[in-house]
Amino acid sequence: MKNKSPNFGIILFIAIGVVPFAAAFIYALLYSFGVIGVANKGFTTEFWTSVVASGEFFRSFLYSLLIALVAVSISVGGALWSTLKFRKRLEQKFLSFVIYLPLAVPGIVTGFFTFQLFSKGGFFARLSYQLGWITEASQFPDLVNDALAFGIVLSFITMIMPFFVLLFLNVYKNERIEALSVLAQSLGANAKQVTQRIILPILIKKTWVLIVLYFIFLLGAYEVPLILGQESPQMLSVLIIREIKQYDLDKISEGYVFAVMYTLIVSAAAIVLFLPKKRRTYET
Amino acid sequence: MSILQKVPFTILSILVILSCTENPSTNDEALKTAPWTEIAQKAEGSTVNFMMWQGSPAINEYINNYVVPSVKEKYNISLKISGGQGPEIVQLVMGEKQANIQSGQVDMVWINGETFFQLRKLNGLWGPFVGQLPNAKHIDMNDPFINTDFQQPVKGMEAPWSINQFAIVYDSARVQNPPKNLQQLTEYLERYPGTFTISNDFTGMTLLKSFMAELGGSPNSLDGPFDEEKYNGLSQKLWAYVNGHKKYFWKEGRTFPKEQSKMGQLYANGELLLVYGFSEGGIEEKVLNGLYPRSTRGYAWKNGTIKNSNYLGVLYNAPQKAGAMQVIDFLLSPEAQLRKANVNGMNSNTVLNIESLSADWQEKFKTVAKRQYGPEMKQLEKNAIAEPAPEYMIRLYEDFRKQVIEK
Repeated sequence: MKNKSPNFGIILFIAIGVVPFAAAFIYALLYSFGVIGVANKGFTTEFWTSVVASGEFFRSFLYSLLIALVAVSISVGGALWSTLKFRKRLEQKFLSFVIYLPLAVPGIVTGFFTFQLFSKGGFFARLSYQLGWITEASQFPDLVNDALAFGIVLSFITMIMPFFVLLFLNVYKNERIEALSVLAQSLGANAKQVTQRIILPILIKKTWVLIVLYFIFLLGAYEVPLILGQESPQMLSVLIIREIKQYDLDKISEGYVFAVMYTLIVSAAAIVLFLPKKRRTYET
Repeated sequence: MSILQKVPFTILSILVILSCTENPSTNDEALKTAPWTEIAQKAEGSTVNFMMWQGSPAINEYINNYVVPSVKEKYNISLKISGGQGPEIVQLVMGEKQANIQSGQVDMVWINGETFFQLRKLNGLWGPFVGQLPNAKHIDMNDPFINTDFQQPVKGMEAPWSINQFAIVYDSARVQNPPKNLQQLTEYLERYPGTFTISNDFTGMTLLKSFMAELGGSPNSLDGPFDEEKYNGLSQKLWAYVNGHKKYFWKEGRTFPKEQSKMGQLYANGELLLVYGFSEGGIEEKVLNGLYPRSTRGYAWKNGTIKNSNYLGVLYNAPQKAGAMQVIDFLLSPEAQLRKANVNGMNSNTVLNIESLSADWQEKFKTVAKRQYGPEMKQLEKNAIAEPAPEYMIRLYEDFRKQVIEK
């Protein structure tokens, strides 16, 4: 009986985590080659050729990559700064409760809030009008559905920065960084050295996996870019859904090509990022 | 058998059971010729699933508080509503066809010509059935705006539910002389920059069809089957016009609203002063709800705007086809159509030929309250044009993205 529970756990993981993913991937792969799909006529590489030739996937991928990178960098940077600067205050009951609140707000709601606040007819535009800073809605800067993806990045930061603050606070406590800092100072290190050599390396090293996972999560985000993004280029998930739901049924398979390409790239990146590190940990 | 062997076997068994479906009803074909009393008898006590767009409070109120209780009371039919429009319906049918599901989740759907074309292509509709409906005798099936959908003959495969015309919508308090042709639109754009755009959806593409018909030189220039040469010539002029003016569009034409509802919000915010839409612009409900200003008015493009019908269809694998037919027949009844015409409610034009009704009903329809803000379809009808072939829409979607959005 004793050795059956781990086996059952693995099987459950495979049944719930691996089989549906693998089945969906195989379905998408077959669809992308026209093997399945009621509007398809059999195996063809035309959808792959067309997607690769159009270059839209690569533009969209690069655009998503940049947005995710900027959002994660600002969120992690902001969270680190907040942790270092306001750690004591953030540990107080009220603030530690308040910081949990944004985590309870779904992405789609955050997207709507951002739109309501920052659109040309939104709260800040109206406030600017009342204060006489602008005389027409069109004079308010382009902050949603804009080329620089300001609205998307802002929403992402709102969604994930509180999480990183909480994470860093916990790591700070669990890794006894306070004690290590005192020790370093007693050995002659100054405040800057303590921050750069002790606090930041420990916080980053202990959380980098989660930082990368959040980056991948933002890369594939859907609701926020759907509400706040522009029509071209679009973030990957929005592009994939658009293609899969398109009017021309003969081209729906192109959406599955996008989905397969995205899955392959993200899976490959995850393998490259996570596997070697794990081995090194075991080696040491 | 070890647990390692047992679990995959159990999972496989569950998947096999889940993939099995009920057998399709063998009497479905007989419904196409059966007497109505037999269909009505079969429909009684059934549960009918209706997939429809639920984005309007007035439509939801009509369906949930009037249609659902009425069909329960009259025919003992439990009508269940699920949300979904064109793409969702098409995705559902494609998925069920792919999985060879003979007894589907949905019985009847509310569709427009775009979805009709897609469903016909997939053989996703069941019929013909309209000829079997008693109330269909009150519909003028010789009306080209009813018997033809996107240049495709309807042939009893879908029942018309409402008829409407595309209208241009503007704020009369801020725009004195709204444009009625492309030349006037140029003048408008120069005078009111940033207040006009084209939504990247069905509504926006419909506007582009009107523009293209004008560039073709007459209201009928896009009639008939798809003509590649004609499309290439006219679309080239169309993209030249749009790209030549997009610096005056909303956000200087760098991006476009994804859908009409977003455009409606922009109009309500005052960012846009000139928008458009079906159902004669959809003005009345939005003004009454306080979304649009009371100074909102609507009109037709001089060369014509698209007039079409929207329809009710029965899906190929509907488990309750008789029930769906009974509900559709009720929706076409003078009683239900009159209620639907209520200016403070769903406010849609009837598809019934009023002259064919009894004097009593004729009187009721003729005394329906008029709209206060939006135009009546009769006022726009002289500028009505038919939907061009569906291929025009496919190409416009594709080329609007390539030639305008991505440039």
